[in-house]
Amino acid sequence: MAQRLFVRRRDGRIEVRLNDAARSLAREAFARVLAAEMDPDHEWHASLNAPIDPSHDVDDPLATLSRQHEVTSNVELAIATLGEAYLNDAEAWAWLCTLQVALRATITAKGIMTSERLNEADESTREYLMTLQTFLFALADVM
Amino acid sequence: MPSLKPLRVSDESQTESVTATITARPWNVIVWDDPVTPMSVVVVIFRKVFGYPNNKATQLMLTVHHEGRAVVWSGPLERAQGYCVKLQVAGLLATIEQDA
Repeated sequence: MAQRLFVRRRDGRIEVRLNDAARSLAREAFARVLAAEMDPDHEWHASLNAPIDPSHDVDDPLATLSRQHEVTSNVELAIATLGEAYLNDAEAWAWLCTLQVALRATITAKGIMTSERLNEADESTREYLMTLQTFLFALADVM
Repeated sequence: MPSLKPLRVSDESQTESVTATITARPWNVIVWDDPVTPMSVVVVIFRKVFGYPNNKATQLMLTVHHEGRAVVWSGPLERAQGYCVKLQVAGLLATIEQDA
């Protein structure tokens, strides 16, 4: 039986059972989300700035500012708690959001919007996506 | 039965009426399917963002999965924008559109 990556303890905290390699991969994903949010030329930037109302050329500036602020807050909290053995609910939510943003940004940047395109993707991309999905499955399971 | 007098409707009041109707039409928050997001993650996000019970969140997730999209919330523009932002922050592909 595979070891669970996250475990909800009796006191309500979530125990993180990622090994060094898994934490390193999470660290890289979090860092890329933060870089993409700040750099308009980053390949993930478009995914992080998807239209809110596609019928208008420009979205409400307050809404886009709010999104930017919330994404940055989540990723900063996720990075700050990367070395922790336990997460509270707010920290776990920040991890889940940031990992999911990384997952979606990867497929958007690579144009993988259908199952067919996913099957055609190169092996390293599919492996990376599967690893993020594994983290997300495990985290969602305890939330 | 009371008699009804025909009302004289000016162009201005007609315009106001049309504007009021358009404004009153609710805005829908749409979530779109993608090939990688785990179903359980979508359910967690719907529960957390909207406070939906597990069965409603699961039903909406299945609609997204089977139909390619689902209206997950309807209401005033500002709140629709707010929910859309929260869904995007959580990594889902979400947009808003005014109800037809």
